[in-house]
Amino acid sequence: MTFANIGSHGGDGLDEYAGDVWFGKLDARAKLVGIFTFVVISAVLTNMELVLISLTVALALLVASRLPLTHIAKMYMAAVPFILFASVSVFLFSGWERGIEMWMRTSACVLPLLVLAAGTETFDLFAGLRRLRVPAVITTLLMLTQRYILLLSEELSRMTTARRARGFKGARNLTDRYGLKVLAFTAGMVLVRSFQRADDIYEGLKCKGFDKEMTPWRRSSIAINDVLLATGLAAVAAVLLTVQLGVIA
Amino acid sequence: MKPLEIVDVGFAYEDGTVALRNLSLSIGSGEKVAVIGPNGAGKSTLLHLIAGFRTPFSGQVVIEGRKLDDSNADDLRRHVGLLFQDPDDQIFMPTVEEDVAFGPRNLGLDDIEGRVARAMKGSAVEHLAKRKPHRLSYGMKKRVAIAGILAMDPAILLLDEPTSGLDPRSRADLIRLLKGMDRTMLIATHDLEAAAEIADRAIVLNIGRLMEGTMREVVMAGDLMQDAGLELPPISKLFRVLESMGYPVDDLPASLDQAVEQLTRVMDRTGKHAHAHIHEHVHNGLEHDHEHPKATAVGHQPRDEK
Repeated sequence: MTFANIGSHGGDGLDEYAGDVWFGKLDARAKLVGIFTFVVISAVLTNMELVLISLTVALALLVASRLPLTHIAKMYMAAVPFILFASVSVFLFSGWERGIEMWMRTSACVLPLLVLAAGTETFDLFAGLRRLRVPAVITTLLMLTQRYILLLSEELSRMTTARRARGFKGARNLTDRYGLKVLAFTAGMVLVRSFQRADDIYEGLKCKGFDKEMTPWRRSSIAINDVLLATGLAAVAAVLLTVQLGVIA
Repeated sequence: MKPLEIVDVGFAYEDGTVALRNLSLSIGSGEKVAVIGPNGAGKSTLLHLIAGFRTPFSGQVVIEGRKLDDSNADDLRRHVGLLFQDPDDQIFMPTVEEDVAFGPRNLGLDDIEGRVARAMKGSAVEHLAKRKPHRLSYGMKKRVAIAGILAMDPAILLLDEPTSGLDPRSRADLIRLLKGMDRTMLIATHDLEAAAEIADRAIVLNIGRLMEGTMREVVMAGDLMQDAGLELPPISKLFRVLESMGYPVDDLPASLDQAVEQLTRVMDRTGKHAHAHIHEHVHNGLEHDHEHPKATAVGHQPRDEK
């Protein structure tokens, strides 16, 4: 089979659905405050019933966000090895009940974060962090890191297509020395090409007078929906915490 | 004071590859100059050198009366707007208007709103203001990149292969846009037709300068074109054929506009005229009957006027 190498620039897989759902239109600051408050509190819960409630709230948020469930499921699958590792470790040392509790707790933390990541444009997320007084050096580094990761994946995708176009089917196993050699060369080429492109992007930034900060020009304002989301999540987190601490029976 | 003066500039890469040798060039205010040459001729290197990205170099680059060196490259760069060959390398922000505003905001310029509006209008991208740049077509990305540069209001525009990678329509639109801009430009390209449309004069570069003149003069210098590894534009080749067939060719046109101008001039001079000749015919085996219409427009010299 013959493939044509059609270069695609700046794919936005991560931000694919953020613009299509109501959750994506909310102010990033409100989402950050609400979800991080909820996640931090969920992480310290030890009561099984409370953990179950927090997981239910996380699932409700996921459903209400209207983000495609398959998309979130794929993202969740990436986290599964870590969640399993934590849950199985606890299960081995403290029994199945604690193991399940650990799985539910980590899921209650991971799911809202996935909703936040998939339901917010990456740039808005970092810009929101900056507006929440996170130092510019960190937010700009995050923005540039994301830009360069995209660049690296673009180059990798091009090289993979070009390789397949010339009939390479990949290393069949660890003893396929030729296949492994080709993969090693590809990795080297991807790095070299990415370095070159990274240099071009740096020059592009310098041409636009970039000094140290990337912030949005148009600033969004907090609306009633934003306040409702942030306060709603914070209120649920507060109730869970007070019950956990025994303030409320 | 000229916006850009280059005196005896030479540059070699770290591995010893010489990219430019003894190049001198001067561009007046509002002048559009094309740097043409084959791949590896040093065109892009020249633009990046002027933008302060290729140091050290021998000779002098003077921008707006100030000599370029390592210490003032960042400062002088605000006077030159470099359009990269690949627009993806210079688009950073999530929406078109944010990206156009990015440069002026970084430079601390005033009236960002006005600048952005004017730059987007000048590049005909005002209707894309809220769109995501990375979802636009390649041609539109080029326009967005141009708008981003225009918003910084540089004294000189440096355009690196502006028409490369564009489909014919986007290419024609971009040429029209650049042609209509009242800006000082240095355009590196191997698209000779585009250079002929946009530029007032051209420099043939192949490490060193081979020739300088109008695009007509450049395409007339056949041997030099061959030495520089450049192909004549198709329209020039057509007129060369016409010339060999006895058609009076004063000088070779390098673009369609120049060809039309040339034809009009010849017809005016000889008192001939052009008209559209429409006739109907159909080829049906060896028989010819006149059933289906076919239109042809030809430059026609009536026999009775010969």
